[in-house]
Amino acid sequence: MSAQTPCKLKASDYKSDTKPVWCPGCGDFHVLLSLSKAAAEIGLQPEKIAVISGIGCSSRIPAYMNCYGFHGIHGRALPLATGVKVARPDLTVICAGGDGDGFSIGGNHLLHACRRNIDITYVVMDNEVYGMTKGQPSPTTAPDWDSKIAPGGIGISPFYPLVIALASGANFVARAFSGDPNGTTQILVDAIRHPGFSFVQILSPCVTFRPDQRDWKKQVHAAPVKPTSDASQAARRVMTDDGFNIGVLYKGSRDPYQQHVGHDIRFDRDIDEEFLP
Amino acid sequence: MREKSESVSAPFSMAELLAHALTIELEAVQSYRELAQQMQQCGNDEVAELFDRMSALEAEHAAKIRRTAGAIELPELAPWEYRWPGLESPENIDLAGVHYLMTPYQALQLALDNENNAMAFFEAAANTSTDDRVRALAQEFADDERQHVAWMQDWLSKYTPPGDDWDYDPDPPVAID
Repeated sequence: MSAQTPCKLKASDYKSDTKPVWCPGCGDFHVLLSLSKAAAEIGLQPEKIAVISGIGCSSRIPAYMNCYGFHGIHGRALPLATGVKVARPDLTVICAGGDGDGFSIGGNHLLHACRRNIDITYVVMDNEVYGMTKGQPSPTTAPDWDSKIAPGGIGISPFYPLVIALASGANFVARAFSGDPNGTTQILVDAIRHPGFSFVQILSPCVTFRPDQRDWKKQVHAAPVKPTSDASQAARRVMTDDGFNIGVLYKGSRDPYQQHVGHDIRFDRDIDEEFLP
Repeated sequence: MREKSESVSAPFSMAELLAHALTIELEAVQSYRELAQQMQQCGNDEVAELFDRMSALEAEHAAKIRRTAGAIELPELAPWEYRWPGLESPENIDLAGVHYLMTPYQALQLALDNENNAMAFFEAAANTSTDDRVRALAQEFADDERQHVAWMQDWLSKYTPPGDDWDYDPDPPVAID
């Protein structure tokens, strides 16, 4: 995160007056709470935070936070967040969205955001379904999830976000559970403070299209190991993961992307030169 | 995910007890208010009103705790540093128990469970305390929660439990044919 003068605000000060339209019981309510608590805990100034999202239920989150925000287009949250961070390195940039937005339409952007290692925290609220468009299987849906729209299941191996993030070069990799807002807050604080690209998968139940996910709270458990800075060790762990280990998996020490020293980029000037006579 | 703490096995200081008590109530005020808004958006006005009333009830309790704290400087704890019996504060709303068609009975049951959790928390704090003043205050808070439990039970008795078809929706969200 960027160095800022800490301020003293309550978590509720980071919530906007816009009321969420998520379904009652949706895990995203607790993710919003955790993000607000994390911002308060770090003492971030609201005008120094930018929350950038794509499309989907969870991507509504910028509207519900009292800070800068941009509700972008489907799957393109990470390119937008990258642009914001490069243009305004003084801001703490949080990118947020769901599993469909981040792993399918935006899947390619995830790989390259991890690789670039720009100082962004990417929060994916994973409910293994496209909720906003009424329950289609997403990249993280189990192959045998039987539903009206995919009778008998889709039979395709799911996407493993933590493995992909790790292999692509993310500097911080963690999994959280929305039903543990205080634990999620702790992970988010850690993720935001860690330099470089931080990836946090938050298991966030969709109670409307995946009512079975109400049982997640019985299935999640604390990861039995401490975070490692050894990528190969982290990879071995995550490859044998049951999908419900909660905690920080990996903390790397790769230097975050910075504009080349001495390379004076001024977007407004460059654009002027390009377009003005 | 953190391991659940072993509750209040270590005694609370006066300031710690007040900080925990205040956080329980303030988080409950916020949670019930948000639940009321959610229910209102779904057209479940009766349950929305109940949650609003619960929020007001918790706000009164929070105000009382503030008055009790007076000039005592409360410790600033990170959210994960509180010593709750579980992962979250005793009156934290379990979203898994929330549904857009939930009945007043279910809403009150949720609140009753929370009040019972809070009462157990303060009783445990009283039982483990080695300081007479802390023990007395924890017991007073437990008695307040016991009063809330009684109100919830009384309230609950005015409603009938939901039938098997309580979540029947003639126009369900899963509308892909």
